[in-house]
Amino acid sequence: MDGGRSFGGHVREGRRAVSAEAAALIPLLDALRAAERAGAEALERWVASCRDPRLRGGLRVICARDRSHAALAEERLRALGGVPTATAGRELQAVCGVVADPDVSDRSKLALLIARLAGRVEGTLEHAVRTSEVDVETQAVLAAIGEDDLGSMRWLRAVHDALDGR
Amino acid sequence: MSDDAHDVAAFLDALRAAEEAGADVLNAWVATCRLDELRGGLRAIAEREAVHAGLLAGRLRELGAPCTAVVNELLRAGAVSRFGSAALSDEEKLSLVLARYPDDGAVTKPIRRVIESLDGDPETRELLRLVAEGESATIAWFRAYQRALGRRVPLPE
Repeated sequence: MDGGRSFGGHVREGRRAVSAEAAALIPLLDALRAAERAGAEALERWVASCRDPRLRGGLRVICARDRSHAALAEERLRALGGVPTATAGRELQAVCGVVADPDVSDRSKLALLIARLAGRVEGTLEHAVRTSEVDVETQAVLAAIGEDDLGSMRWLRAVHDALDGR
Repeated sequence: MSDDAHDVAAFLDALRAAEEAGADVLNAWVATCRLDELRGGLRAIAEREAVHAGLLAGRLRELGAPCTAVVNELLRAGAVSRFGSAALSDEEKLSLVLARYPDDGAVTKPIRRVIESLDGDPETRELLRLVAEGESATIAWFRAYQRALGRRVPLPE
């Protein structure tokens, strides 16, 4: 496998030449795509077993958003010349397992999701949006995904507080 | 179905049709958009509109209500043609969108009114709450982008 830089700052990704900047961005988009898809699948299973209609209403939206974020990330990844190959990491798979488990309480799942989303919005995604190595089109897509996640997090926190009777 | 439930279903259906048409218009704009950053935002916002339309259609099905509303075809086709036109600048298109919403709250006002009447249906209420929040985020983004665009110094010809 080549994978190295060639003249003009380009690398080979499959059969297409991509810029060095795009090559650095592709794994991030691929990881995001895999994480969003795994999240959507876990949320779908939570919705199926959730008995609280208030919670179900919002979870449906967050699940659909995750699915659309995966599609957006894949679209950008392919536009940059990449091919999606990533799968969710072990830690994320464990989180998804808990979220999908009908025997875990809604409150525990909410706490877990809030912690997870907070880390991503303030971590990887935030960094990707701000770094100068990301093209502005992808930056805008990532910023919109981050905005959705912020909204989801606000809602999850509000529901969590409501369940706690705060 | 009670009269109130019928009114709510009609609102959800009209909103679904509007979101679907909105996604069509935004996708037409994406195809001719010359500004990379704006194009990225439009892609994400078009996707958001399509997600809202899908969620509302799903909820209507669960409530046993049909999805029959359609946006007037002349209006929809006109908007697709205008926003998909290369003859109109991105700045003009931004102004057209924002002229419809004098403030960020204007876009969600009708949704919030329905949310207040939905205590008997918390599932639809919470779904609408997040849809409204997404709509606010969209208008806020357009406004912020327009402001940022206005601050940029044009390149000398």
